[in-house]
Amino acid sequence: MRLTALLAMAARMKLPPDYRHGIYRPWTAAAKANNPPGLRRKKVFVEPISKEDWKVFRGDTVEILTGKDARKQGVVNQVIRARNWVFVQGLNTHYHYIRRTANYPGTYIANEAPLLLRQIALVDPTDRKPTEVEWRYTEEGERVRVSLRTGRIIPLPVYQRRDGIIPEQWKDGPKDTSVDDVLDRTYQPSLKLFEEEILELQGIVETRRARKSYWY
Amino acid sequence: MGLLTNLARGLVRGADRMAEFTSKRGPRSHNKGRGARKLGYLTLGGKFIKIKEMVPEFVVPNLTGFKLKPYVSYKTPKGTEPPLTAKQLFMDVVAPQIEKDIKGGTFDPHNLEKYGYESTQEGKLFQLFPKNYVR
Repeated sequence: MRLTALLAMAARMKLPPDYRHGIYRPWTAAAKANNPPGLRRKKVFVEPISKEDWKVFRGDTVEILTGKDARKQGVVNQVIRARNWVFVQGLNTHYHYIRRTANYPGTYIANEAPLLLRQIALVDPTDRKPTEVEWRYTEEGERVRVSLRTGRIIPLPVYQRRDGIIPEQWKDGPKDTSVDDVLDRTYQPSLKLFEEEILELQGIVETRRARKSYWY
Repeated sequence: MGLLTNLARGLVRGADRMAEFTSKRGPRSHNKGRGARKLGYLTLGGKFIKIKEMVPEFVVPNLTGFKLKPYVSYKTPKGTEPPLTAKQLFMDVVAPQIEKDIKGGTFDPHNLEKYGYESTQEGKLFQLFPKNYVR
């Protein structure tokens, strides 16, 4: 098939409409083992929240309202929007025992369980208490989250890449194109086809012409 | 619908009947290709004549002093260029020439060939319509 179609297929995973999103991301091996193609499970109902209304991001400080770790604050580690899930680092954990083998003594590992958005509240930086938050616009026109109790703007957490690279501190390697070379516009628009230009540059002279063919 | 879907249903056992029967399967006598195009034609005597023009050849230019490298630095700002349309190409290349000629008074509507107009595609190596090049 066309190369473009193949690449497009590889880039985006096609999930069935009743796919149940779990703790593992759909492209991981664990998720593929749990959800083989043709699997139909009972539907899980998720409160629909639009992309613009979403308020909690990775790196935010939130307080847990209900559950085992109620009234504790933590940093959001992961967000799964398909199920309205939020994972808070170190909180709402259950323990999973890894059995001992010949080389390994065996230990308990803490795994965080997901929390729904209803069990979470963003923390106001002034008094460090949970608040209701709304999206509003500043005088300059910037869209910000505002705490309804005190009116203070809760800034968005700094976006950190999962691979730990900070673009401002990146040092170009030998195979990296520098910023100036990338942004340099060297295209000269011309009416010649790419093939004709290459023929000229390489000095190839082609006097033969293709035989005329017809199709209906 | 392969083996896994039927296993998930728990109904059918056995091999995957819907899998493609490629050249890797079957006995030694099963000899088929994987979709490469022919590079010539077969004569009546059974001899295959290879046509040099049908054999793909990579035309690699001289890359000394070429600044672009395989990867792009993380520091580059995100953004896109607007796609090049025929109208944009016309405005960039042909329109300034026509404007200059109109102002100079030498514009001739019957002699559009000098701006790149092609009244017919006959005789050209790379014809635009009907397109006879691959890209």
